[in-house]
Amino acid sequence: MAVHFRSFRSRLVVVFLGLFALIQATGYFAVTAFVRASARHTVDDELRLASTLFARQLDVRTQQLVAATRLLSGDFALKTAVATADHATTASVLENHRQRVDADVLMLAALDGHVVADTQRPAHHGVPFPAPRLLAEAEAGRDASDVVAIGSNLYRLAVVPLLAPEPIAWLAAGFAIDDRAAADLRRLSGLHVSFVARRDGDVVVHASTLGAADRRTLASGLPALGAAGVLELDGGEHLVRIEPVGRDVVVVLQRPLAEALAPYDRMLLILLAVAAAGLLLALLGAALVARRVSRPVLTLARGARRVAAGDFDVAVKVPQRDELGELARTFNEMVGGLRERERVRDELERTAKLKRFFSPQLADALSAGDESLLASHRRQITVVFCDLRGFTAFAEAADPEEVMRLLHEYHATIGPLVFANEGTLERFTGDGLMVFFNDPVPCPDPAARAVRMAVAMRDAVATLLAEWRRRGHALGFGTGIAMGDATIGRIGFEGRFDYAAIGTVTNLSARLCQEARDGQILVSEPVHAEVESLVEAKNVGPLPLRGFARPIVVFDVLGLRPQPTEPP
Amino acid sequence: MRRALATILGAVTLTLLIPCLTPAQTDRGRLDVLVKDERGKPVADAVVSLTPPGAIAGPPRPGAVMDQQGKEFVPLVLPVAVGTPVTFPNRDNIRHHVYSFSPAKRFELPLYIGTPAAPVVFDTPGSVVLGCNIHDWMLGYVYVLATPYFVKTAEDGKGRIGELAPGTYEARVWHPRLRAETEKTATPVTIAAGEPGQVSFVVALKPDRRPIRRPNYEGVQGN
Repeated sequence: MAVHFRSFRSRLVVVFLGLFALIQATGYFAVTAFVRASARHTVDDELRLASTLFARQLDVRTQQLVAATRLLSGDFALKTAVATADHATTASVLENHRQRVDADVLMLAALDGHVVADTQRPAHHGVPFPAPRLLAEAEAGRDASDVVAIGSNLYRLAVVPLLAPEPIAWLAAGFAIDDRAAADLRRLSGLHVSFVARRDGDVVVHASTLGAADRRTLASGLPALGAAGVLELDGGEHLVRIEPVGRDVVVVLQRPLAEALAPYDRMLLILLAVAAAGLLLALLGAALVARRVSRPVLTLARGARRVAAGDFDVAVKVPQRDELGELARTFNEMVGGLRERERVRDELERTAKLKRFFSPQLADALSAGDESLLASHRRQITVVFCDLRGFTAFAEAADPEEVMRLLHEYHATIGPLVFANEGTLERFTGDGLMVFFNDPVPCPDPAARAVRMAVAMRDAVATLLAEWRRRGHALGFGTGIAMGDATIGRIGFEGRFDYAAIGTVTNLSARLCQEARDGQILVSEPVHAEVESLVEAKNVGPLPLRGFARPIVVFDVLGLRPQPTEPP
Repeated sequence: MRRALATILGAVTLTLLIPCLTPAQTDRGRLDVLVKDERGKPVADAVVSLTPPGAIAGPPRPGAVMDQQGKEFVPLVLPVAVGTPVTFPNRDNIRHHVYSFSPAKRFELPLYIGTPAAPVVFDTPGSVVLGCNIHDWMLGYVYVLATPYFVKTAEDGKGRIGELAPGTYEARVWHPRLRAETEKTATPVTIAAGEPGQVSFVVALKPDRRPIRRPNYEGVQGN
């Protein structure tokens, strides 16, 4: 099936498919959007839950840290060492206590806010405490803990007073929040975890499960985000949730959207497969429907083309009972009408043609289809020959126009008489005319008809001759009539057939015509015998005729006897 | 209840002390003191002292007592003249471990029950913060004064210093939670015979940050 988009069928298929594809695509995109939204929602919920848990966990750990630190602060040896300004011992006790609680750092600050001892940086003696705010908090009697950046590291730090029993110093314990801690949290939650310090517009990613590039993206993208948002990281879109865990520190939880979408991938794949199958079915269906619709149209078009080419034997077959079926029926009816009209026209044409040779009655019979009349046969007929005397000489001398005009007048005068007497016009030969009777339609009185016709012709032509004579043309009219058997039938070749009678009777009548002088109607004896009662005739005696061994008895018909009544 | 008892005991101690310090004389004057905070509330446990213009010479100081009772120091504040021996009787049925890291007197009475044999002599003026190594909330003060003329205010913020020789003194106030330095509270006071002098202080106090004593696990208070 060649696809031409101009064809009705292709267009129908395309429209079908287009609509189907549109519906499918709309459905697909709606589902995709829904799935995306749903996945986002799920991830959002996860992140919210995780951030709450993280915050809670940090709280708990901080409380534990505070409790542990407070416990450490109650140590009398530490108090003694601090109170006696024994720095070496103080540092040693701190290191010992750090190991006890497995903290990452233990620091002691004097009441004036300067570091007395730092387990991680023993040299940091006398520098200002890195989180002075916490000291103020502790001094105000509150639980002082926060996530703070010390150098490039992040610590969860708790500060408690060293009481003796009034505060004599501040004890700070800290746990590092580093990449390892972030990795631990990732193992627990399955989320990307980053700890980010935000201070005076500076964003520093201190600890993270992300790679270096993503850390930079996070640092640059974070200020624009609120509590939640979307970041384009390596591996696609990440949903992000930001939860404060300290005064200047937030924990950023991320999950790639693709991870949440993964379970839906299979569903979308199935959806796509269904859509594809549907499209295929729609294609088949559309093609079938289009075929059903277009086939009758094409059939009709073919039929119309044939009609246009003149073939009216067309009947389109459209079995449908719908509008197309109705159209086909109407079409067939129309073609039927056309065919009928064409048939009538043909018949009329044929009849007109036959009428050249036969009487109108015979022509009608023939055109009605009775071709058997024209089959070869032998029959007794009466043959009439007539022509103009002196015509050959006239034709040589006169203008061709005058010759034709004269012939036309002549034929126009005698032609109707042939038909009027139901004679069969066998041929015109210039001025000559051959007509026979009793064939192809037999008649009861062929000789009588022949003679009556000949008399009528002579009378009619006499008027013409008088007229012609006035115009200076000396012409005459002679007639010969014979009766006998002849072989009759169609002769000629395809494209030109004549209905001819062959036999002695033809020759005889032609000879008699030759013998006849102007105004004479010479008939053979059998003819005379047939019409004796009808005509006045004079025996002109036996005449020696060329082609005939013996002289032939010939009568000259002078005129018709008056008839008391018209023959039926 | 405990606080009231402490106040009564303090008052008793004072009344016992004063006649011992100076023999009764009719030409002696007295000073009524009143300590309030910035909001006008009376301040208890403030120690108001008078420093005479001349040198102070006096008889040896009788001893003072700082009890441990119901896991508290009683009284909370014990003002003593310099050189006073103070005993620390433990009236609870558990041991205490009294210590001080204060520069004015650094000492330690390791775990003991009853009254230690030797009293602690406070020979340097200044505040001595007392703690117990076992009980974080136990907090007491021994305020060591260079003068014998002093009084601790009662709940109503009032106190009276009697048996004063007429003359001009410098009055100072001290309190464990005093924001200002005591030295800066020095106020001249003139004492006349037969007519009680009056001095009042308005002091700014730091918030009370004593370690919280939570109820016993068994819900039993005291010893």
